[in-house]
Amino acid sequence: MARSNEVDLTDSKRVVPLNTWILISKFKLSYKLLRRSDGTFDRHLAEFLDRKVPPNANPVDGVYSFDVIIDRGIGLLSRVYRPAEEGEGLPTLAELEKPITSDIVPVIIFFHGGSFAHSSADSSIYDTLCRRLVGVCKAVVVSVNYRLAPENRYPCAYEDGWTAVKWVSSRKWLQSKKDSKVHIFLCGDSSGGNIVHNVALRAIESDIEVLGNILLNPLFGGEKRTESEVRLDGKYFVTIQDRDWYWRAYLPEGADRDHPACNPFGPNGISLEGVKFPKSLVVVAGLDLLQDWQLAYANGLVKAGQEVKLIYLEQATIGFYFLPNNDHFHVVMDGISNFVSSNRQIV
Amino acid sequence: MGPEGSSITSSSGSSSSCSAAARAPDHHHHHQIDQLLAGAGYSVRSSQLHQVAHRLECLENVMVHNQNIPTHLPLQYHLANDVVHYNPSDLSSWVDNLLSELHQLQPGSSASSSGLPPCAGNYESTGWSPSEFHAPPPPRNGNGNESENQQPQEVLSHVLHLMDQEDSSIQLVHVLISCAESVQCGNLPLAGSLIADLQALLTRVNTACGIGKVAGYFIDALSRRIFTAVPPGAASFMSCWASEDEILYHHFYEAAPYLKFAHFTANQAILEAFQGHDCVHVVDFNLMQGLQWPALIQALALRPGGPPLLRLTGIGPPSPDGRDSLCVIGLRLAGLARSVNVKFAFRGVAASRLEDVKPWMLEAAPNEAVAVNSILQLHKLLGPDQVHGSSSVEQVLAWIRGLNPKIVTIVEQEASHNQAEFLDRFTEALYYYSTMFDSLEACSNRADNVLAEIYMQKEICNIVCCEDSARVERHEPLAKWKARLKGAGFKPLYLGSNAFKQASMLLTLFSAEGYCIEESEGCLTLGWHSRPLIAASAWQPASD
Repeated sequence: MARSNEVDLTDSKRVVPLNTWILISKFKLSYKLLRRSDGTFDRHLAEFLDRKVPPNANPVDGVYSFDVIIDRGIGLLSRVYRPAEEGEGLPTLAELEKPITSDIVPVIIFFHGGSFAHSSADSSIYDTLCRRLVGVCKAVVVSVNYRLAPENRYPCAYEDGWTAVKWVSSRKWLQSKKDSKVHIFLCGDSSGGNIVHNVALRAIESDIEVLGNILLNPLFGGEKRTESEVRLDGKYFVTIQDRDWYWRAYLPEGADRDHPACNPFGPNGISLEGVKFPKSLVVVAGLDLLQDWQLAYANGLVKAGQEVKLIYLEQATIGFYFLPNNDHFHVVMDGISNFVSSNRQIV
Repeated sequence: MGPEGSSITSSSGSSSSCSAAARAPDHHHHHQIDQLLAGAGYSVRSSQLHQVAHRLECLENVMVHNQNIPTHLPLQYHLANDVVHYNPSDLSSWVDNLLSELHQLQPGSSASSSGLPPCAGNYESTGWSPSEFHAPPPPRNGNGNESENQQPQEVLSHVLHLMDQEDSSIQLVHVLISCAESVQCGNLPLAGSLIADLQALLTRVNTACGIGKVAGYFIDALSRRIFTAVPPGAASFMSCWASEDEILYHHFYEAAPYLKFAHFTANQAILEAFQGHDCVHVVDFNLMQGLQWPALIQALALRPGGPPLLRLTGIGPPSPDGRDSLCVIGLRLAGLARSVNVKFAFRGVAASRLEDVKPWMLEAAPNEAVAVNSILQLHKLLGPDQVHGSSSVEQVLAWIRGLNPKIVTIVEQEASHNQAEFLDRFTEALYYYSTMFDSLEACSNRADNVLAEIYMQKEICNIVCCEDSARVERHEPLAKWKARLKGAGFKPLYLGSNAFKQASMLLTLFSAEGYCIEESEGCLTLGWHSRPLIAASAWQPASD
């Protein structure tokens, strides 16, 4: 019964479970309310609508969490998730930051998604995801509450990410026992994936080693309209129009989408040939309209001689990793787990 | 640092897991919250997932449509700033809140005041186009924002109200079917909670007409089935007084053309079959009030060459109060026959079930032309009872055949209400009776309508609540009856063009627009808006 002036949502409903459809549609609609046509953002309402959870030092399903202030000057918070030991109860304040006792424990620095404008480290969906990563990767996860656009444009998110990397790298209690070094991975979805790449770039010139980049449906783009953007516009929760809005909100005023932050292998990108760049795991959803940019990113890395593992999920839409009710979720969790365990040694 | 080590894994995932998981994941407890959404911070009952999804769709439609409205206060602005958002974790009420806020943009928005078309059937009016909104520029008064956006918001609210009605109606159907499904699975707790949801939904639709009214009856029937410990016998739906059934039948007869169509068509066929016979005998499987026979008696009276001797054997349930109601009717018909000079004899056969009638009770004489007339009776023989290895219907058809009748006129509901699966029967019945009720509404006589509806409600209750031998309303479509009759040794007797003309004329005399007669392979069906609802056919014994 589709009439010509009705939104046709039948495509998206056919490929995701009902509760996932509800979740992502809800985000889609409430985000629409928050974006103003003049480029401003209704932060007040956004904060009210965002479902958040407090940290919980009490282990739940073997994971406990606590918040730390990384940079008092800008108020940069991060939430740390640690695996609880067998029979461990509520840790004391001092015990929260007790040193790692295992030989090697990967520390995953996580950047949540939200197209640079939405969500936080304490958003419910990301808290859940980070807790899962702890179990799946036997890792400590540090979720960075980076500053959001449009109030804080490029390069704030990257600077906050880099600050977090430096902080993590310098925590004695996060060092693996084997080599007294912190084994760092970067992981992020959507804008978080974009942040992963750009923070990894900053790490190149430093003596901090990043063992791996994990990018889930990363946010990349460019001035050109790619075939996947045109074909999938509006079909699976995302429109080109809203993607453009978020780039305008994040990139510097006057910049276009060929800015290297957005389009790292575009006309303004820098070459990564011969550069010691971390190995990358790139996850692309086949029903994400940005896939052409994401695949171009992976190809760009390959062409520059970098190591890339690509997981392409034909029937997945954005956000498939929020609820464990589909096969893509498990494929990706396994992929991440393998990636982390194969690369956690510092060679 | 060469390119080795780069690898590509492609996975097409599994859409089957998606579609399998598209249903609510947890049926165990009717208050069950969807656990996965709860983990994401949203509280939605598993049983409400479809409803919430639908409301989200409606909200999106409104937000998308609004982009075309050239108001200076965009809808998004209103929703973001002027609407109070309550608990955002309660997704269902959050969405409803937004939708009803938009609804309330129009002051005094009730069905009557906004002059909406009747909800029974016509939703084309939701197809408005943006060009309708060349609203004049809002008056530049300093205060009072209300008047400024009156025009576009009026239409918006009109759309929303229709959408609200429409989507509540659609939800009603979905939840009804879900409830029937859970009854079929034996999940009575879930079914019970869905009844509560249904009753809530009923408050949001117009129950005076359309799907709202029919749904009410189905919800009632389902409730009886779910909440009654002992399955009801057929008797619990029969009236205490046979006269009550007669009254309901009479009102159904008057309210809609179905029974009249049945009688006219059968009579025409019988009349033609009796041509050239001087002694004729009509066996009526359900005399009721004998409403069919005055017309035949009069037609026989006017027959060129004079009327035959007419015998009428009327079968009906025994009267509980001791009076012989069959005889009373027989006497009345005899009086009429006398007044038109038709030699007439009547015999009543009291039997509570057609299966109990034996051919010897009919006293068919060898020189008579016999017509067997069954209006909405044969389906009652399709129950599970078997005697000596053959089913009731086979036995009855066999003795009909044994009478060597000149004609057998059969009228049955054109519906498939005897399917093996409860859910299939339920869904069929929902659509069938919705159409029946719609057609009733089109006829103007309100007094008849109420009781006619109760007549149909009893059928609905029997289909939904009863099982085994108690379930007698086992309607089957014409195609199945054709096969059955052919198998019992009958061949079709084509209803002629006279019957078709009679039926069409009947419609113009009695009924509203929307009814339609169709002819196919010598059978006639009467339907509402191209959905056939009742089918008439005639048969004769096939030569051995």
